[in-house]
Amino acid sequence: MAAQQQAVGKIKVTFTQAIRMLLPYVRDRIMEQIKSVSLIIVYLILFQTIVLQMGIVEASVISVGLSLVIVGLTFFMEGLMLGLMPLGEVIGIKLPQKSKLPVILAFAFILGMGATFAEPAIGVLKAAGSSVKPWEAPLLFLLLNKYANYLVYAVGAGVGIAVMFGMLRFLYKWSLKPFIYILISGLVGITILGYFDPNLCALTGLAWDCGAVTTGPVTVPLVLALGIGICRIAGSSGDGAAGFGMVTLASLFPIITVFTLGAVFLGDVSKPMEETAFFSKGNQSKAITLFLSKEDMTGYAFRNASIESQLALFGGDKNEMLAYLNKLKQNDSKRGEVFGQEPDALECWAALYGSEDQQMTVFNNDKDAVKDAAIHYARLVPPIKVFDILNRNGRAAAQAIIPLTLFLILVFIIILREKLPHADEIMLGITFAVFGMFLFNIGIELGLSKLGDQIGSKLPSSFMSIEMKEQIRNITNFKKETVQTATTSEGELKEFFYLKTGSDYEEVPYYERGHDEEKAIYSYTPTKGPLYGSERGLIGLIVVLIFAFIMGYGATMAEPALNALGLTVEQITVGVFKKKVLMQAVALGVGTGIVLGVAKILWGIPLVFLLVPPYILLLFLSKISTEEYVNIGWDSAGVTTGPVTVPLVLAVGLGLGGQVGVVEGFGILSMASVCPILSVLSVGILVTRRQKAMLQESSKIVIKGGNS
Amino acid sequence: MAAEKKLSKISGIFHGGVTSSIVEALNSAGIVDLQLTDARTLMLREKKGPFGIGFETVIVEEHADFLSFLVPSKQEKTAMNLIVDKSKMDTSGRYTIFSEDVRLIKNHDLCQENFIDSTETGKTYTLQTKLMGICCIVYRGEGNHVARVALDTGTCVPGVTFGIGTGLRDKLGLLRITIPAAKEVINLIASSDDAEAVMDMMINAGNLDQPGKGFIFLYPVGKGIINRKVTRELPKHAASMEQIIAAMDEIEGGTRWRLRSMSGKVSESKQKRAYLENLTNLIVTCNEGRGNDLVKAAMSVGAAGATIIKLKHISPSDSEQSKISPAREESNLVVGENLVPDIVDAIEKAGGFDDKTHGRILAHPIPKACTYLGGKK
Repeated sequence: MAAQQQAVGKIKVTFTQAIRMLLPYVRDRIMEQIKSVSLIIVYLILFQTIVLQMGIVEASVISVGLSLVIVGLTFFMEGLMLGLMPLGEVIGIKLPQKSKLPVILAFAFILGMGATFAEPAIGVLKAAGSSVKPWEAPLLFLLLNKYANYLVYAVGAGVGIAVMFGMLRFLYKWSLKPFIYILISGLVGITILGYFDPNLCALTGLAWDCGAVTTGPVTVPLVLALGIGICRIAGSSGDGAAGFGMVTLASLFPIITVFTLGAVFLGDVSKPMEETAFFSKGNQSKAITLFLSKEDMTGYAFRNASIESQLALFGGDKNEMLAYLNKLKQNDSKRGEVFGQEPDALECWAALYGSEDQQMTVFNNDKDAVKDAAIHYARLVPPIKVFDILNRNGRAAAQAIIPLTLFLILVFIIILREKLPHADEIMLGITFAVFGMFLFNIGIELGLSKLGDQIGSKLPSSFMSIEMKEQIRNITNFKKETVQTATTSEGELKEFFYLKTGSDYEEVPYYERGHDEEKAIYSYTPTKGPLYGSERGLIGLIVVLIFAFIMGYGATMAEPALNALGLTVEQITVGVFKKKVLMQAVALGVGTGIVLGVAKILWGIPLVFLLVPPYILLLFLSKISTEEYVNIGWDSAGVTTGPVTVPLVLAVGLGLGGQVGVVEGFGILSMASVCPILSVLSVGILVTRRQKAMLQESSKIVIKGGNS
Repeated sequence: MAAEKKLSKISGIFHGGVTSSIVEALNSAGIVDLQLTDARTLMLREKKGPFGIGFETVIVEEHADFLSFLVPSKQEKTAMNLIVDKSKMDTSGRYTIFSEDVRLIKNHDLCQENFIDSTETGKTYTLQTKLMGICCIVYRGEGNHVARVALDTGTCVPGVTFGIGTGLRDKLGLLRITIPAAKEVINLIASSDDAEAVMDMMINAGNLDQPGKGFIFLYPVGKGIINRKVTRELPKHAASMEQIIAAMDEIEGGTRWRLRSMSGKVSESKQKRAYLENLTNLIVTCNEGRGNDLVKAAMSVGAAGATIIKLKHISPSDSEQSKISPAREESNLVVGENLVPDIVDAIEKAGGFDDKTHGRILAHPIPKACTYLGGKK
């Protein structure tokens, strides 16, 4: 023994020794992340190449992105373990011992608010609502655009209140169940009531999704660790899940605050109406409240509304509209306000979306210029701006982590007056977390999102035919004589011609509008699908649903916040509740949820029918589940929708929504949150049943401990 | 600060559901200074293979609580009877209780032994004697593999807790993050006749005499009730195997009659192995966050390192002891007896007994221990 005893002080480690220690450490951690993300990556690639039979565009960029995801996750998870979670836990331990209740509550509120501002999920929600039309859902449009800030404040306040209640719960050992009963029945009530007001009905998806999205990969581990720390001071004995439950509250309270916000602005907006009526002179004063300015509204109408609506904006006077466009050509500042700051924004818009008159006006009656511009802008792939990506993601990562941890460290040093334990390790952890998140975000943007977008936009091709806009082709010296006629089984005539590409002969449908007879050019957009079954047939739709399930499952397994939750659960239960079991249950739940969400989009099912029954079922399941499983189950719902799942779900949701024509892509995320609760609670009920049965059995074999 | 005292440390491993009622019973009997840590217990279960063909025996885990407190030696029996009686746990297969004779070397005034003030003792239960505890520290994830020995030999249901290792690791600067600190601490109670054999088998199972694999030691246990329900299955016969064994134990007055079954297995693991003998385990309990500093102080005078286990301190809110932080940690330092005075001094100098730390040092002897001893014999 004595031989091992060495004097305290640093041991000198040579460089080779250090490398020998570092290598296995790094290898283990990278392997772990590869394991967690490989399923979703391999699956997406195989699905695209084999099932959708499409090559992967920008494969090299995507593979760089995917490797960045792995390296980023490795750093980020290690940063969580070394820095953020220990920091959260020590504060949780010290705060209730050293501070009075008002200080604790103030701290909780600021933490919740801060966490929301640090990880604004608003970008995600905006993307989900990008196809929301102001005339179809005025209130939703208002909150997502002009009042997006208020939306963030509302969600932040919701999370702040949630963290306050979470603290009170821990300090006074309240059960989570009453919170669930009250909040859920309230929310279900509001949702059902909202169903009868068209504006509130449209808001429902946004509100529930806000709850699902707000708890991000930084907030969740921090809040979990904090809760665990507090429960080491305040929790009751023998409570297996002490420390959980805060994430649940943080997912539920924002739904309330968003609904409240909606109710406040409900009076300011008009009812949904026809597009032309919306832009008509009579409604303009009301319509303009949804936009920043008149210019903003005009620009929006040009880009998104039909030509009739655009005319309605100018009182039905075509010349006035064209004169207005002419004016914009000369006036740079005004054009900026209407079409955005890019110098060729006007041309780009006119070539792609403008009517013939508008194109003529913008391109000075030069037909060829219009055609060239149309092809030019249609094929234009925005170049990857390396500096921009680095800068943006670097800022986002720093913004998500540094202010929050700084706040925690300052609270620790100034209010609690304690020395930070293992300060070097925590600092290293925070650095790892920032760096990891930076790489991870870039990886998501360049890799996973791109891959998801490609699949999402082409996914409908499995059950319907879609146009491949980026593959637009021009056939020069086209001769009308080659066009042939075919008949459908109903006797309708269709025109087509044969196109020889390479050694293959391909049938191409012929439409009058694609043919420029003067220049003998035929331009056409190839279509794809339906790959499986007939147009909108069941087989193709089933392919989509199966895809959605496996994608949800795979993406969940890669979620960092869920990994952190799983590790915490395993730690708290001394390894009895395995991370693997939790993640499997959650992933199956998310898969199912996404299937339901996709079904909502495909068949246009109102969200209320999908949300209300599972939540009512959950009320019953929560009633019969143990406190431990209720806490863990509901918490896992909050963490499922993270940075891996969300972009993929959005890509698929928007891809399908765009082709099927629905108002918004909301709701999938909230479905992906409710189903995991169901699955975790069901697992919990099964396990507790089995344990109880075993215990009863063993108590039947009574052995008197020898009462001599 | 009082002089050295001989006390009895009572420990119990309970199924999570009954802990709160036990704590309540103990509190009302005057035991106000309790320590609790999360643990898991292991059992075996037969799992049928696919299509019901063949089977394998798998480990099932259950959440449990590891409770301990101090009483004067003469109240040892009363305290143990109290637990069994008040919690109405006179069924086998639910719990383990054992007592150890420890020395309270030095302590903060608040961290003393408990006195049972209720004179009413209720029923008395037979407690087994001639016991030996085995404590084994391995890397996290290895615990089940080593602990399974106790199940396979039918010794007892082992309890596993999580711990954090310090020592060599902390001298590496930031490079320390490359070495996992997370440990598992396995506790099991065997009859003193079997203990060495079981320990040997555990050393074999976990290769504990190889570098960086772990540490195992025996410690004396006074009295106890052992949880012998090592399998979780439905009874196939009128009497279960546990019942028969328990009945035999009672008739024979101990577990010596079982010796034959064990001694066969010992011979296969008989190797020349160097053991460490006559060491002392110093258990330093203090408020959360202070453990590292105290261990550092101990290391500066020669201790090799420690395993820190997080504890929860439980005391009624109206008692004097509620001033002690509920978040506590316990550092286990295994050292030579000659080092003890120096270490105690060093810990005191590091503020181990001030109001911020509420420290307490217990010691119990370790007759035999094993780990990798380097090249030296």
